[in-house]
Amino acid sequence: MSASLDLSLIVHTRNRREMLHPLLRSTAFIGERIIVDMASDDGSAELCEEAGCRVVRIPAETFVDELRNRYLPLATRGWTLLLDSDEYLAADAEGLIGALIAAAGDRIDAYGIPRFNYIGADRLPAPGWYPDHQIRLFRTGAIAFQKGHHQRPVVLSGDERLALVDPSDGLHIHHQNYRDLKEFIARQLDYALTDDYAGVRDLRLYLAEAYEAMERSLGDPERSDLDAALAIVMAWDRVVRGVIHWEASGRTTDLARAFSLPLVVEQGPAFAALEQRVRDFENSTSWRVTAPLRRLSAWFRSIRQR
Amino acid sequence: MELTVVIPSFGLDALLRTCLASLATSLQVAGIDDVRVVVADNGSTNPYRVEHLGGGRVELLRFDQRTSFARACNMAARSAPARRYLFLNNDVLLHPQAIADVVGTMDAVRNAGICGARLVFPDDRIQHCGVRMDDGPLGPYHEFAGQPTARVSRAIRDFPAVTGAVLLIDGQLFDELGGFDEIYPFGYEDLDLCLRAGQKGARITCAQAIDSLHFESMSNRDPGRHDLSRQQFWQRWKGRYTRVGSWQPP
Repeated sequence: MSASLDLSLIVHTRNRREMLHPLLRSTAFIGERIIVDMASDDGSAELCEEAGCRVVRIPAETFVDELRNRYLPLATRGWTLLLDSDEYLAADAEGLIGALIAAAGDRIDAYGIPRFNYIGADRLPAPGWYPDHQIRLFRTGAIAFQKGHHQRPVVLSGDERLALVDPSDGLHIHHQNYRDLKEFIARQLDYALTDDYAGVRDLRLYLAEAYEAMERSLGDPERSDLDAALAIVMAWDRVVRGVIHWEASGRTTDLARAFSLPLVVEQGPAFAALEQRVRDFENSTSWRVTAPLRRLSAWFRSIRQR
Repeated sequence: MELTVVIPSFGLDALLRTCLASLATSLQVAGIDDVRVVVADNGSTNPYRVEHLGGGRVELLRFDQRTSFARACNMAARSAPARRYLFLNNDVLLHPQAIADVVGTMDAVRNAGICGARLVFPDDRIQHCGVRMDDGPLGPYHEFAGQPTARVSRAIRDFPAVTGAVLLIDGQLFDELGGFDEIYPFGYEDLDLCLRAGQKGARITCAQAIDSLHFESMSNRDPGRHDLSRQQFWQRWKGRYTRVGSWQPP
């Protein structure tokens, strides 16, 4: 245990006993470890107590991010490290965290730490999944969380006092996100169903984000099949959220408008290639020509006639 | 624990996987079950995952920032205390009988504290069968390096040092020495460990019956990679060891 690091650890958990082993092992050097246990019944709290952590037992709650604000003041050290129960650190974390705290001086109040995300045995290297900086190391009291799931916390003294750790050769959070895709889908759906949907938001914005989620992955030459699968799920997630939001806001927006294709096509070779593909599809006898394709084809014709 | 095998490694996943497979076979042939295998992932860009390394008994010790061979080895050994430690490079493919040869040699030589392994390049030339010391500018050198292995004696003999590519050391001795000295950034920490072990009266020997394959310097081929360590080594040891051995590289 490090006596020299002026650091508290706070972890929120619920029924993640098996996942907690790497976290407890890799944070043993931290003098003050506070586990906020949300009514686990699998022995998570007892495991943490056996490891020497202070365990605060609270009822189960849906919005963990907002809940964090209530328990951040429990930290008594100068700096706080926040981890989730399915995260852990590397063997050299103690020295690297110590170096970051020492380097903060009077300029830095919070660090964004890069995060390796894993599904099963595979790391997710695609943009959006890496470096995936997380604001988790900060002067105690320097940040506040927002309502919802996985919202970016606010650095209270301003983002100019936030520094991002270089992912090329430095501290990381290791995040064993999910065992497999099925678990990933179940978790996304749970987040979507329990998230905060205030105000009114046009479904087309969600659809545009769905296309962007696909494009980010498909446009990356380094992507793996797993990255593509995740992009498909995330696109689906945006669509599902859009529909939930539509209902939560009183079904007030016009869903039919969302069927217009959210495409922006630049004039040039890409435009010509897309037009040719549409024409090929339209002339093909082996494809069923759908109404949106007919509309797109008509749109190309109208462009040519201008 | 009877034995802990420590493999410091950076990238080269396929090579590491093959190294581990050869290690598993060699441990099985030697009949050693009471063993832990710790891979020190020395800042690999894509962190190793146990599932991709053959699973089983492999444990990972991850370093987010690349560190010295000495520190990676020390921390890995500390994480799995044992009666003996075997330090192994990821670019060594062990012969199925290599572990039995090294352990058997260690057991057979009275007061042996450290035992190395006989290593060859892919073309059957000697990469390592023991390290000698020259008191001139040459300093430490691998005896018979580059010679066809068929021409080199297989007699068991003492050396001032052996390479850390395959190095078996008594656990108590390793602890008493404080492990590898972490002042060495890359290279020479193995020779330093052996010389310090020798000062404590331990004999350093090398198994000679079995040849294993060593590709050498697969992770770092920079010609100057050993310069800083070499300076450290000279500052500490120049004029402080006895020239031992008759064969000099051509």
